Amino acid sequence: MGGENLTMTAFLALLRRDLKVASRNALPLLMATLTQPILVVLVFGNILPRLHLVADEFRTVMVPGLMSITMLMAGVQGVLMPLTIDLSGSREVDERLLAPISVLGVAIEKVVAGAIHAAVAGLIALPAMMFLMHQTTGVEVHPRWAALLPLVVLCGLLSAAFGLTIGSRVQPRFSGLLFAVILGPMMLFGCAYYPWTGLAVIGPLQYIFLLNPLVFMSESMRLAVTPDVAHMPAPLLLAGAVGFAALFTLLGARSFEKRTIL
Amino acid sequence: MSAILAVEGLVKTYPGTRKTPPVEAVRGVSFDVAQGEFFGLLGPNGAGKSTTLGCITTLVRPTAGRVVVDGIDVIRRPSEVKRRIAVVPQMRNLDRDLTVREVLTFHAAYFGLPKAERESRADRLLAEMQLTEKAGVKPLTLSGGLQQRLLIARALMHDPKVLLLDEPTIGLDPQARRLLWETLRRLHEGGLTLIMTTHYMEEADRLCQRLAIIDHGKILQLDTPAALKKALPGGRILDLWVRSPEPIAPRLETLPGVLRVEKVTSSGQEDGFERLRLFVDPKDGLLDRVLQAVQSAAGDLDHVSLTQPSLEDVYIHLTGKELRE
Repeated sequence: MGGENLTMTAFLALLRRDLKVASRNALPLLMATLTQPILVVLVFGNILPRLHLVADEFRTVMVPGLMSITMLMAGVQGVLMPLTIDLSGSREVDERLLAPISVLGVAIEKVVAGAIHAAVAGLIALPAMMFLMHQTTGVEVHPRWAALLPLVVLCGLLSAAFGLTIGSRVQPRFSGLLFAVILGPMMLFGCAYYPWTGLAVIGPLQYIFLLNPLVFMSESMRLAVTPDVAHMPAPLLLAGAVGFAALFTLLGARSFEKRTIL
Repeated sequence: MSAILAVEGLVKTYPGTRKTPPVEAVRGVSFDVAQGEFFGLLGPNGAGKSTTLGCITTLVRPTAGRVVVDGIDVIRRPSEVKRRIAVVPQMRNLDRDLTVREVLTFHAAYFGLPKAERESRADRLLAEMQLTEKAGVKPLTLSGGLQQRLLIARALMHDPKVLLLDEPTIGLDPQARRLLWETLRRLHEGGLTLIMTTHYMEEADRLCQRLAIIDHGKILQLDTPAALKKALPGGRILDLWVRSPEPIAPRLETLPGVLRVEKVTSSGQEDGFERLRLFVDPKDGLLDRVLQAVQSAAGDLDHVSLTQPSLEDVYIHLTGKELRE
């Protein structure tokens, strides 16, 4: 009966709608996601090195980390903001749920839309940061594009799936708390400002960091844009990123269904 | 006529939480709706109407029972059911980030309509619903009546077989309400099957061919509005607002011509007056006998009215309470 085709058609139409709305709001979305990395780069990558207050290596270490933070924020917000409207009193989500597509399909579409948002943010953040630091010396950023593109997509999926998981479990009124209590610590302990391999100095505690999905994103970016800096072995970071992306997609889809189908 | 919707033994119990007990919203509801019928679910808030509708539209998972739309089981093949139905929800859930026109064209895209067809249908429905001038604005800037018409236009974009409406006229001014009634009537005349929940008697009476009166999750009565009214004992209704030191209802019940006496709980009670509803077969001197009975019980009479039964009377007869709170 062409049921499968129709599901795919509905999926793509929903995605087209989300991208259209996102492109209309491109400027505020870009400002929301790029302000932080740009300011951090200005201070830590430009001003402090000139004052000789941070080591030159820090700038190289920081770039992939800031990319991963940018993608995490963009992916989470790219899912969380629309989801808040969807699940609000007027329940805009019901129109999507009444489209000829399964609830799982609607959930996965949200993750894909958020992932595109995150990937675009990451890919804009990288040249923006390189531009801001181009006059300073000692920055060793050499993107390997063939590795970067698939890893950016993977990290985008991970971020958006994480956004769906927390967004469908946390009441909107607690979203401020969410950023302070969950995302804040994640960013500080996400190996964004230091490589995971360097954490060997703290002994076995190093492995506790692996509970933080952002670690795998930061290390992925490190592999892709600063190949000269030591990074986690590729199989481990891939397994971690894919594993967390799958886990959060599953958890997110489940809680999304619980929230939407009574 | 063949049934386009069959609901069999539908039960929905919302699980409780630590603080709240489970809620049995629907407790064994069964009915059929024929192709091309205008069917109504009438009942007070919390009667289980919206939950029943939710089970038909796949948005509520039934605890037990079966719902079949156009021969397709809702639980087993929800996507195929969704292609055949359209919903006008109680909450106006229009996509606030799109324009009025895009609300229609994207909705059609979700259902796989080709671009040319999306555009021509949107044009036609915008014109039919008198929304052409508003095509470029965001839906939330529209008045309630226009938003409601846009919801109906959106529902019609994918050419459904059954249109389900949940309290469609709630919050509309009388003019917008009448316009909506006209629209629904026109759609029905065009052959569409309509299923509507409402707690407005007049609306149910005017529009619906058959009505299920529903309360506490059960269907109390299901018939045509005319048959429901005819089923009242006696055929006339005598309402009394009385106040008396001793119970007066038993005295009235024994009078010839009085078939039944019901106490109506109503919010308008004051000064100890209670409203009694007498189902009467008006015979000679009935009113005199009633007045004498009130006087002999040393009662005060505040107000009397003798009327033809309305759907509201049927409702009050069945549930013992007024519909609107």
